[in-house]
Amino acid sequence: MSVFMLLVVIAVLALVGFVIGRQRALASAAGNIKEMHSLPLYYGWHGALMVIVPSLFALTFWLVIQPLVIERQLVGYFPPEVVESSAARTLAMADVRRVAEGLDIAIAQGAMTEVQADMVRTEFGSVRDRLADVGVALGAEVTPQILTAAQDYRKYAVVGNIGRSILTFLVALAGLIYAIRITNKDFRARNRVEQVIMALLSLSSTVAILTTVGIVLSLVGESLRFFTMYPWQDFFFSLTWSPNFQGGSDLGLAPLLWGTIYISFVSIIVAAPIGLFSAIYLAEYASPRVRSVVKPAIEVIAGIPTVVFGLFALVTLGPILRDWIAEPTGWGNSGSSVMTAGLVIGILNIPFVSSLADDVINAVPQAMRDGSYGIGATKSETIRLVILPAALPGIVGGMLLALSRAIGETMIVTMGAGAAAKLDLNPFEAMTTITVKIVSQLTGDTEFDSPETLVAFALGMTLFVLTLGLNVVALYIVRKYREQYE
Amino acid sequence: MKDLRVERDVQTETNKIEARGVQVFYGTNHAIKDVDVDILDKTVTAFIGPSGCGKSTFLRCLNRMNDTVASARVEGKILLENEDIYDARVDPVQLRAKVGMVFQKPNPFPKSIYDNVAYGPRIHGLTRNKSELDEIVEKSLRRAALWNEVKDRLHAGGTGLSGGQQQRLCIARAIATSPEVLLMDEPCSALDPIATAQVEELIDELRTDYSVVIVTHSMQQAARVSQRTAFFHLGNLVEYGETGQIFTNPKDPRTESYISGRIG
Amino acid sequence: MSDASINPSDLPQKSESLLVPSKLMRRRNAAETRYKAYGIAAIVISLATLGIMLITIFSDGISAFSQATLRFPVTMDAATLDPKGNRDIAEMTKVTTVGYKKVLEKSLIAELVLRQVAVDGVSEKDIGAFISGDAPARLRDMVLADPSLIGQTIDFSAFATGRIDGYFKGRVTMETAKLDSNISPEQLQLADKMQEAGILDVRFNTKFFTNPDASDTRPESAGLGVAIIGTLYMMALVVVLSLPLGVAAAIYLEEFAPQNRFTDLIEVNISNLAAVPSIVFGILGLAIFINFGGLPQSSSMVGALVLTLMALPTIIIATRASLRAVPPSIRTAALGIGASKVQMVFHHVLPLAMPGILTGTILSLASSLGETGPLLLIGMQAFVVNYPSGPLAGGVMEPATALPVQVYAWAARSDPAFIERASGAIIVLLAFLLVMNIVAIILRRRFERRW
Repeated sequence: MSVFMLLVVIAVLALVGFVIGRQRALASAAGNIKEMHSLPLYYGWHGALMVIVPSLFALTFWLVIQPLVIERQLVGYFPPEVVESSAARTLAMADVRRVAEGLDIAIAQGAMTEVQADMVRTEFGSVRDRLADVGVALGAEVTPQILTAAQDYRKYAVVGNIGRSILTFLVALAGLIYAIRITNKDFRARNRVEQVIMALLSLSSTVAILTTVGIVLSLVGESLRFFTMYPWQDFFFSLTWSPNFQGGSDLGLAPLLWGTIYISFVSIIVAAPIGLFSAIYLAEYASPRVRSVVKPAIEVIAGIPTVVFGLFALVTLGPILRDWIAEPTGWGNSGSSVMTAGLVIGILNIPFVSSLADDVINAVPQAMRDGSYGIGATKSETIRLVILPAALPGIVGGMLLALSRAIGETMIVTMGAGAAAKLDLNPFEAMTTITVKIVSQLTGDTEFDSPETLVAFALGMTLFVLTLGLNVVALYIVRKYREQYE
Repeated sequence: MKDLRVERDVQTETNKIEARGVQVFYGTNHAIKDVDVDILDKTVTAFIGPSGCGKSTFLRCLNRMNDTVASARVEGKILLENEDIYDARVDPVQLRAKVGMVFQKPNPFPKSIYDNVAYGPRIHGLTRNKSELDEIVEKSLRRAALWNEVKDRLHAGGTGLSGGQQQRLCIARAIATSPEVLLMDEPCSALDPIATAQVEELIDELRTDYSVVIVTHSMQQAARVSQRTAFFHLGNLVEYGETGQIFTNPKDPRTESYISGRIG
Repeated sequence: MSDASINPSDLPQKSESLLVPSKLMRRRNAAETRYKAYGIAAIVISLATLGIMLITIFSDGISAFSQATLRFPVTMDAATLDPKGNRDIAEMTKVTTVGYKKVLEKSLIAELVLRQVAVDGVSEKDIGAFISGDAPARLRDMVLADPSLIGQTIDFSAFATGRIDGYFKGRVTMETAKLDSNISPEQLQLADKMQEAGILDVRFNTKFFTNPDASDTRPESAGLGVAIIGTLYMMALVVVLSLPLGVAAAIYLEEFAPQNRFTDLIEVNISNLAAVPSIVFGILGLAIFINFGGLPQSSSMVGALVLTLMALPTIIIATRASLRAVPPSIRTAALGIGASKVQMVFHHVLPLAMPGILTGTILSLASSLGETGPLLLIGMQAFVVNYPSGPLAGGVMEPATALPVQVYAWAARSDPAFIERASGAIIVLLAFLLVMNIVAIILRRRFERRW
């Protein structure tokens, strides 16, 4: 029975639970609602929840556990060196699953019978070709071990799927019977339903923690594996980046970190004054009419996907900078450059800086402005000498957040900064960033047991720590600032 | 509390400000209706009246602070030494250096005490060098009766002072630009009684140099510090005259009702 | 402000007239004007850049919606297409697209002769090169589906190749053609004559929305079909996954959560997750969902899971804000007539907060719609030519791609014709975003409540 069918069965049983629960409660009170502890609806919901909640938990549990159990069963087929390395094991299991799926498809299309699928041997001809005929492309020829493992996988999967269906069904049924037995007019159905709802709500709120845990685990786990293959000193202190998938790579962080910082710096140089001055204008000078038109218009920039900015950098701004500035001055001949990416990220960050600055400027109390106007200061003097100094911590916090966004930006640098890792000061040279290299090391054909691929996780870790640190500092500053005026 | 008025003579009878037919509108709300008033030089003039009567609004007309409110519209003439301050040629910024203002809630800038006081002289370019500026700061703080309390910590933050000290700092800040008129919008309403007494005493001293206009919701305060009193009600100037006369022998029945506590 | 900059003559003299501005005042007013000008300049720069960007994208991309198309009668030559003449499908599948290409070529030349279009030395092979590489494949599919077509003459329309198409859109000119090994000026002249003769015309290209991606050599037949399906699958899944989860989490945190360290931990996590770079979520998806969880690479399911995790913090924050906006009087009123806290929330607070929640969800959905980086890591930049199956037949588990990723993939190709396609894809993407934002604005306007 497929998972979808199981869900349908659960839904049907839940409906049954709803109807019976409601009617039993009504019957035990002889139809008199006043005699019942809760409204009839709650008895119905209780019946339904008792079916749905435990059975869905059982199903999820089974779906997570089954692949792990099957993998443990199949480990015997793999050579020892594969069993040792978790990455190789993951890859081997992926092959097994792929072949097993291929056999399933072959049977579904009638190219094989069940028996044939079990009997196929690599000795009698290429399994790869036979599967290719039914549209399943395999990367390499199937080894006898993988094939036997795949055939066993199918058997276990069949058993597992039957077990899954039976378990889920039994749990759902047990919930239904429990709900029916417990339901009578004195049962506190509303309290029970509310308890279950509360439990589900609080469970949902943990998803934020689970995500963080997932991020940290995936970054730390793979980074540690990377550092077992590649010395950490070289990663952090080597000045060259030249990955080589044949081995002997230099994977130094420095050129990537430099590119990242340089580009973010250029972007802040663009975003900070423009964002700040537009915020000042909107907050202090603009009439409400102008403000109500211009503010949303600037925020449109924030709503445009970054890939659009990336294309703009690649197709329009890059060539303009190259043809009009870099080549005439002899500074460079590349359309992708620190300048291109930095300018475009700066533009992207204008609305971000501007709306944060707008917030902090508006948080400065009106009394400050009155005090300044009252002794004859002009608007610009008031802004420059009173409001900006008062709002400074908030503005600094906002700049740090913008910096953190620039550091984590991916598409604009991937399309506009270039791929060459170098330590250079010339802003019209192509340079590269941490995020660009994460993308390039993890896309295409990747093997998860080479340092050249795994370095992406160490880069991700660096990026995560960097941006998280900036955010924590920035949020702390902004909060301190807000408290000052509350 | 002793009556401060007896200690100094009313020095002058010359008019500093003459307001004629002043009307103020907030959008469609007619806040001030046809007010005529003469403010004397070197005199404390008090504006009293129930809340919402327009006394603060009128005060804010005198240095064109209402200009900062987009919906406000002022009609009529207000002459400062015979020059109409609502004349198109007048820069409100320059006006406000002559007509300083102190607000209800002490609002020192988040800067040092020194920088707070030096703010006005700096923007108005009143000094040539540091020593002149130091001199103005000291003079203003002395004039505001704050010098002895803060002379050892001029570079500490102005926001760290007590409420009464903050308000006197704001007064020092306002007189540092050597204004001719000082407007005070309920300057003591956020202060405790002791700080209030100090500020009231200061206001009375300031009368020797400036024309002071104070808005207050406290009739006792008006009686204590002012020589002339104007009573506003529903946007109208009901009665204006010698403080003593207003409090002891009001001509208008509305003034009498207010003084005796029947409206307010 | 420096005191030294002030001349003694600028010092305001006591009792000077208000009607005459002092020199210093003039300088201060000039500074004021300057300051204001900086502000206006900043706004003009931002809006002008936005405008330039949108204008370039539109002017590059609008031509992706039209396509130079050849229309001519094709004679299905039985000798080439069914050499044995027995209409046996198994036999006919042995004829590859090369055979069909010949048929098309011959028919086109015959049409040129019929219409008396002078070919002026353009070789037969170069005339055949007018026809897009995907036309023979399409013709073959037609014939295999209906063998009775063989021997007949049918009206057929085929895309012209990217270079010819580019000529009509101004991308290819006589000058560039001289330097280009794929096209010659003579071919372009012939194309002009064919247009006059009515064989070739530029028309609206519906295939741009429905075709799957195509290889480097045939930009003309590349379309957004798979990308649109993939994007729709992902968006649907993101709504189904993130809305209940996000709203439940927000309700718990805003209405029920006790003030303790665990709640604080959740709050800190949510605010930090909102600022984690999107690419890190891609790494998470790759490591957890694909490598550990064994979900298929490039599938809409994995993409949707990653986007859901990214959208959740925004949805939770927006939901909490709209729950907070429901005034306490509603709550006390509900509790006062004997509702339980859960009843109060679900019967009174939640319905009132619903418009705000939906607006926030749509806006966060709009931002996931444009996400590209994380989808690259989970393999969605792959070249996918097969449409995924229907959603109930497991289509979400099959390889697909997404609109923004398709933009990136096309932008990375060498043929400039793909830049036109990429810009066209952006127009489609922006249209999606526009619709979503308009819906959000309408929701907010229609249900906005002032308490």
